[in-house]
Amino acid sequence: MTPVLETERLILRRPEASDLPVWLDFFMSDRARYVRTPEPTRALGWRAFAAIIGHWAIRGFGSLVFADKTAPEALLGATGPWEPEGWPERELGWTLWREEAEGKGYAFEAASAARDHVFRDLGWETAVSYVDARNARSARLAERLGARPDWSAKTPDGLQCVVFRHPKPEGLR
Amino acid sequence: MTVAFAEPATVAIPTLTTARLRLRAPGPEDFEAYAAFGASSRAAGVGGPFGRADAFRNFCALIGHWRMRGYGRWVVAERETDAPLGIVGPMYPEGWPEPEIAWTVFEAAEGRGVAFEAAQAARAFAYGTLGWRTAISCTLPGNTRSEALARRMGAVEDSVFQHPDGFELKVWRHPAPEAL
Repeated sequence: MTPVLETERLILRRPEASDLPVWLDFFMSDRARYVRTPEPTRALGWRAFAAIIGHWAIRGFGSLVFADKTAPEALLGATGPWEPEGWPERELGWTLWREEAEGKGYAFEAASAARDHVFRDLGWETAVSYVDARNARSARLAERLGARPDWSAKTPDGLQCVVFRHPKPEGLR
Repeated sequence: MTVAFAEPATVAIPTLTTARLRLRAPGPEDFEAYAAFGASSRAAGVGGPFGRADAFRNFCALIGHWRMRGYGRWVVAERETDAPLGIVGPMYPEGWPEPEIAWTVFEAAEGRGVAFEAAQAARAFAYGTLGWRTAISCTLPGNTRSEALARRMGAVEDSVFQHPDGFELKVWRHPAPEAL
């Protein structure tokens, strides 16, 4: 089953091949610097997006793209569960793809819905977010979501990141 | 927040059957065989070796490719046991010179003509079902086994391609559909 999440302003859904151009705009931009290698190419971005789509087939869950319900074609970002092989734990991730979407609480609203989704629909008992140590905006969002650094948690090999651990939401305990 | 459930948007991945092999959709159960291949020296032929995390990303992308292009590579499985022997099929990721027929065989399948049998089926699918009018295969420098298979398939050296990610591919051109 594929979830479609709706919040007050946003719709979150499974990514489709037709979302590729918007993803590539983000991937090639400086905004993506914390979630990719330093020198992006369209070839790398294409493969990364194919992997995001394929993750759904392998795991049965994955990253959800989101947009304002009044402009569903204009994707604002992605958020959701992520479980690659080789990582110490399953992650709740988020990326905000457009600068003009910042400062409006969109990422918070989307990530809150994704956080509730992993605890409620997927039955996770805990969730972490791996935030690049230089990414202050993302760290602030993690804290606003109620997550706190877990200095005892392992980090994925090769990532310079802080592990934020999310409390299980009230009402789901 | 409300939540609804949509039917999973899936791409129907066809199954091809040959004398000894089944070319079928890759699934989670095939990942360990793929990761073992990625960790082995055999993966040098495709730019490896690579670790589990990279193997997982590649494996996800293998499936994602089907949704991005409507076609992609299959897991080549032994008909009798369904054991995965390799990854073969049409592929065309961004940055590639043209759509290609690609092949990778795991160690257990070496020397049994598995790649040849699967690649023939894949090429017939590309020409017959996908309607390709031409097809290439790409090899990395030094992958002599793959070059030998390209020749056995009747392909000839066509050109050298500089991939945007900084590596070089030798491009082999297959006989046109009407020549087969």
